[in-house]
Amino acid sequence: MPFSSLVDSLMQDTLGVSLPLFATELAICATIVLLLLFRLLNLDQRIPGAVLALAGSIAGLGLAVMQHLQYSQEADLVGQSVEIFTGLLIYDQFTIYLRIFLMLFLVLVVYLTMLGGIPDREDAPDFYVLLLGSTLGMLLMASANHLLIVFLAIEMTSVPSYAMVGFLKGRRQSSEAALKYVVYGAGAAGVMLYGISLLSGLLGTANLPELAQALTALGGADSALDQPSLWTLSLAILMVLVGVAFKLSIVPFHFWCPDAFEGASAEVAGYLSVASKGAAFALLVRFCLAMTGSAVPAGDLQTVFVHLGFGIGIIAAISATFGNLAAYTQTNIKRMLAYSTIAHAGYMLMAVAALLVILGSPDAPDGGAQRTEHAIRAVSGLLYYLVVYLFMNLGAFAIVAIIRNQTFSEQIEDYSGLVRQSPALAVCMLACMFSLIGMPPLGGFVSKVMVFASVFKSTEYYWPMWFILSAGVLNTVFSLIYYVNVLNYMFFKPPREHLEPVNVPLASAYGRYALLVTLPVFLLGVMVNRIDDVAYSASASLKSFSVPVVANHDNADPPRQSVRSTPAIPAPVEAATPVSGG
Amino acid sequence: MDPQTYQSTGEMLRNLLTLAWLLPLAGFVLEVFAGYWSHRLSRAAAYSAVFCIAAGFVCSFAALMYWGHQTHWSALESHASPADHHDVLKYFSGTYYTLAEFGKLRIAIDYHIDSLTLVMFTMVTLIATMIHIFAIGYMSDELTEHYEDHQVHTAHGHFHRPGRFYMFFAYLSLFSFSMLGLVLAGNVFQVFVFWELVGVCSYFLIGFYFERKSASTAANKAFIMNRVGDFGFLIGLMILWTWFGTFQFNERVESDANGRDVVMPGLFDMLRDDHGNVTVLPANDHDSYARVFLADPGHSGALKHEGHKEGKTMPYFLLVVAGLGIFAGCVGKSAQFPLQTWLPDAMEGPTPVSALVHSATMVAAGVYLAGRFYPMFLPEVLLTIAYVGCITLFMAATIAVVATDIKRVLAYSTISQLGYMMLGIGVGGWTAGLFHLITHAFFKSLMFLCSGSVIHGCHHEQEMPKMGGLIRKMPITAYTMLVGVIAICGLAIPGISIFGIKIAFSGYHSKDAIIATAMTFSQLNGSHFLLFVVPLLGAGITAFYMFRLWFYTFIGQPRDHHVYDHAHESPVVMWAPLIVLSFFAAFVAFKGEAGSLFKLLLDTEPASVAHGLHDVGLAGDLNFPSHVGIEENHKAAGLYALLVAVMGTTLAYLFYGARVLNPAEVKRQFAGVHNFLVEKWQFDILYDAAFVRPVHVIAKWFVAFDRNVLDGFLHATARTAVSIATLDRRFDETVVDGLVNLVGNVTYDAGRSLRYVQTGRLRQYVMFIVLGVVGIWIVMRLFAA
Repeated sequence: MPFSSLVDSLMQDTLGVSLPLFATELAICATIVLLLLFRLLNLDQRIPGAVLALAGSIAGLGLAVMQHLQYSQEADLVGQSVEIFTGLLIYDQFTIYLRIFLMLFLVLVVYLTMLGGIPDREDAPDFYVLLLGSTLGMLLMASANHLLIVFLAIEMTSVPSYAMVGFLKGRRQSSEAALKYVVYGAGAAGVMLYGISLLSGLLGTANLPELAQALTALGGADSALDQPSLWTLSLAILMVLVGVAFKLSIVPFHFWCPDAFEGASAEVAGYLSVASKGAAFALLVRFCLAMTGSAVPAGDLQTVFVHLGFGIGIIAAISATFGNLAAYTQTNIKRMLAYSTIAHAGYMLMAVAALLVILGSPDAPDGGAQRTEHAIRAVSGLLYYLVVYLFMNLGAFAIVAIIRNQTFSEQIEDYSGLVRQSPALAVCMLACMFSLIGMPPLGGFVSKVMVFASVFKSTEYYWPMWFILSAGVLNTVFSLIYYVNVLNYMFFKPPREHLEPVNVPLASAYGRYALLVTLPVFLLGVMVNRIDDVAYSASASLKSFSVPVVANHDNADPPRQSVRSTPAIPAPVEAATPVSGG
Repeated sequence: MDPQTYQSTGEMLRNLLTLAWLLPLAGFVLEVFAGYWSHRLSRAAAYSAVFCIAAGFVCSFAALMYWGHQTHWSALESHASPADHHDVLKYFSGTYYTLAEFGKLRIAIDYHIDSLTLVMFTMVTLIATMIHIFAIGYMSDELTEHYEDHQVHTAHGHFHRPGRFYMFFAYLSLFSFSMLGLVLAGNVFQVFVFWELVGVCSYFLIGFYFERKSASTAANKAFIMNRVGDFGFLIGLMILWTWFGTFQFNERVESDANGRDVVMPGLFDMLRDDHGNVTVLPANDHDSYARVFLADPGHSGALKHEGHKEGKTMPYFLLVVAGLGIFAGCVGKSAQFPLQTWLPDAMEGPTPVSALVHSATMVAAGVYLAGRFYPMFLPEVLLTIAYVGCITLFMAATIAVVATDIKRVLAYSTISQLGYMMLGIGVGGWTAGLFHLITHAFFKSLMFLCSGSVIHGCHHEQEMPKMGGLIRKMPITAYTMLVGVIAICGLAIPGISIFGIKIAFSGYHSKDAIIATAMTFSQLNGSHFLLFVVPLLGAGITAFYMFRLWFYTFIGQPRDHHVYDHAHESPVVMWAPLIVLSFFAAFVAFKGEAGSLFKLLLDTEPASVAHGLHDVGLAGDLNFPSHVGIEENHKAAGLYALLVAVMGTTLAYLFYGARVLNPAEVKRQFAGVHNFLVEKWQFDILYDAAFVRPVHVIAKWFVAFDRNVLDGFLHATARTAVSIATLDRRFDETVVDGLVNLVGNVTYDAGRSLRYVQTGRLRQYVMFIVLGVVGIWIVMRLFAA
């Protein structure tokens, strides 16, 4: 092939295909450039950076929603995925779902920072450049199709977050938290990079779909993989997972989390707790599916995946337990919410564990006919959880920020008697807390049920998953205590006298914001199907599900179509998907 | 009309009427809070009420015009006979909202629009607008912080309270909404809902001066008497629901599970075929009941074209009971015999209320429903209706002769006229009855407003023996009243006509129509001759007592100089509505049965009426007159009625105008009869003895039973429950709480100890990364091995 035609095809790929599908990210990039330019030309005195950032993020959200609408309007697009930028990124409904999730969250956070006055006008462009840059990294995480992008995206997410944690420059605590976060992040990144190099070295490629192929080739029935390299492989996978686990603040890679959250402002903490979680879970799901590939080979490799899944499950259970128990004695609400974040990451990780077990296990009920359906359910449960988590956690952090702006306190005991001063805020907080616990009829209940249902399904594939399930259920009970403790202060204790009373009526900007964020928590608990259908089709669009997942000794039954009105999973085409570039 | 035009017309009409219907509700919401939102002395509430109902009138009138335009006024063409064009649906119906569905059974908020609906809407909104405006003047003494009620005596003199001007208009608006909803309703259940709503509005309005014992008693009486009628209504509804499974008047198209259109017939479609006939299966050896055939839902086609002989049936007598039950509701609402006693007492309410609720609209709702529900009435039921109307009209007319309170005379007159309407419907004069409803609404509301004007002018003096000669003080009131009086008496100038049009006011035409129908009916059914004689006699009595009222009030020398000297004409806001209404009272029935109002109503007439019915009923001996038959008797009937009315008028003039005869003389002569009439035929005494006292006695027994037996049992149960609860609590506190606390303490301690892991030392943290990776890996190895 002559070089010119190579360049032509590259141009065609980039300009004709990739860039239009990359519109959301481009909008963010453009906003960042504008922010910096305005700063340079002193235009930010006239147009505040916050407004610009809000406009940019709304534009990004609009573009993402348009992409979603395109999918929902054209039936033959459903389930299609496109590899863009010569296979570095992948564009499918899963990507779009996460894009909408992240952009919606970004809009809400930017609006919250506008209301709350962090950052001040002088620093605003810097702050929003960091915020948008970090979100850009997350968007890349959600659509990564290559180990290089995986690493780049995680770094791109992390580096601005370090700065954002330390953004309250005057506060010693803030700087300390930022430093801890940086060093810890660097350590985690190092480990991850090492894992990536091991993995691509072993398998000879860094492209995720190709990883699966290479694994299938290596670990076929005649197992070309000897024991030591098998263990090296598992170590490599583990190391890559560490990078993700750091972003997810999973035990034992969570140490940065309480310190960073306590040091950062509530807005930043809320941002870190939700957005990075969403992106990291998307990445984790993609990575895990790439590892298991379209067909899990029998033998040692298969047990590796089941064990990996179960191992992740155990870590998830430990995370949830640790997070919940450690939250008991916290007196600072942000620290408490940090531990709560760890616990929720644990719950969500259980869905990933269930996914791996379902895909990997040799003993499937019904001869594995429902395997794909169950796997899709596990992912869609996770996606639904993320949306609910967005609102309930952002709601909690937003209320913390609002109260901080009034009382300058973040101590739980200073929330005493809130219901008498600002009943609207107290009720919103009540809804968020109950949703975090998982009380019906709020969104937290539904999402937890979905995740636990997946874990329950996975027990049919691999019985030790019962332990994970019982740990999850038990943890729900544990978590009750510390959430209710906050409510106890807010509703039953008299207000503390030395503090400014919190005066936030529902009709104020703060009150409306709290309501805006809390209302979906109700709606997601009552009207499940709308979002769940979207989450389901997003999950079903993942490439690995487009081809039937068959363990080699199972009968190759095509996956049974689900009863619900979800897009049909395309019939099996070829065993391997075409590879473009890499 | 092609289906598309039909649909768009229906939607337009629905939108207009819905707006007219809901505006007063919006007004009510606004006004009921007006006391808080604005100053108590502000007239804003009144203006909002007037605006809402006036806008409603505009919408209703526009709807009527639009309907006429779309149908090319086919209803008004003289050759149009209702049977001629049944290929075109003459009504528009549909569903606003489905309340509940139980399998095939379904309760919904429907609408049903035909010419009757449109005429009623226009009439109700027009009269209500006039009365609202009148009330601004009449109720203006409520615009104060310290309203002194002269009729309520407390230990410290008269009773004082803040004025309730805005509340009055809020109630009026709520009433207007309810009344319009009743007319718009597309199923009988919805009718019942609004039936109760107008009932409760009437209760509020009668009891507007609820501090007066007489007013609150009257309100209770009205409410309770209506409950008696509604009890029958409910029984009727239950029977219909059980046998028909629908409340809908007319058919409705619905998609079934396969997406095909299925026609779900309404009550009328199920019972009657296209010609309005009912198929009756007489009692035979197998079945001791006569039965009526009903069309099945989804298979109405069979019944549509010719009566069918197979399928679902229901006992004939149950349908009679259902009809009587529904009619019982009408009896209560329209104050017919034997539930008529509440209406005279309802005059305790302010006069605009009497004009709107208790003469023009709500009490006419009973007649309206009897008309609307006409297809469901079997001949026996119709005969009952006719006799009830007949008794009522005579009884009320006789009482009106001796009543001296100006409003009570009008109240008895209302009852009597409602009796005429019922009689008209009962003898098969469907259009005649409803025709009289509309004309009566105009002239009776006019007369009530005039009486209100008199009462207002005479400083709340209502006794006619204290009035007299008021025509000199309040000429406008007197002359507009005279228009109403002539209209109700049915006076006309016989033989002379200008351009072929009779010189007569509206009442002449409508009463004429009823009497002609009654006359034809009694010719066809000789044994029921009373149904003609009594209304004819009644027409004379009507003329007598109405002119008695007018002469008493306006003519001759004043009887009480104190009242006379202070009397004055009412302000323009009160007399302007009188002028408007008197115009309509005179000319609404312009050209009589050739006129547009009659033709409009005729358009909705049920199919079975026009050609009459022969040898119907279970005994097969009832005949109902056809249009042609009535037409033959029309001239004679008109002449008789006019003759009688002129006689009544003359008599009244001799007694009260010229004062040639002395009424006191007559009173002495017939003291027994007089007393009987003054005591309202002894009904109140009878009801007290027959119902109120026995209820008191039984209630006492129940109280005793309750105290001694039921309470004792309840107390014992409660004591047992308390002792069990005490035991349970002990168990709870020691065992359950102990366990829970144990678990709680353990987890809490665990949580506390976890705190020490988070040391805050950075070096340790980074160490943990490495330790974590290696540790997990080793554990995995061990586990896998």
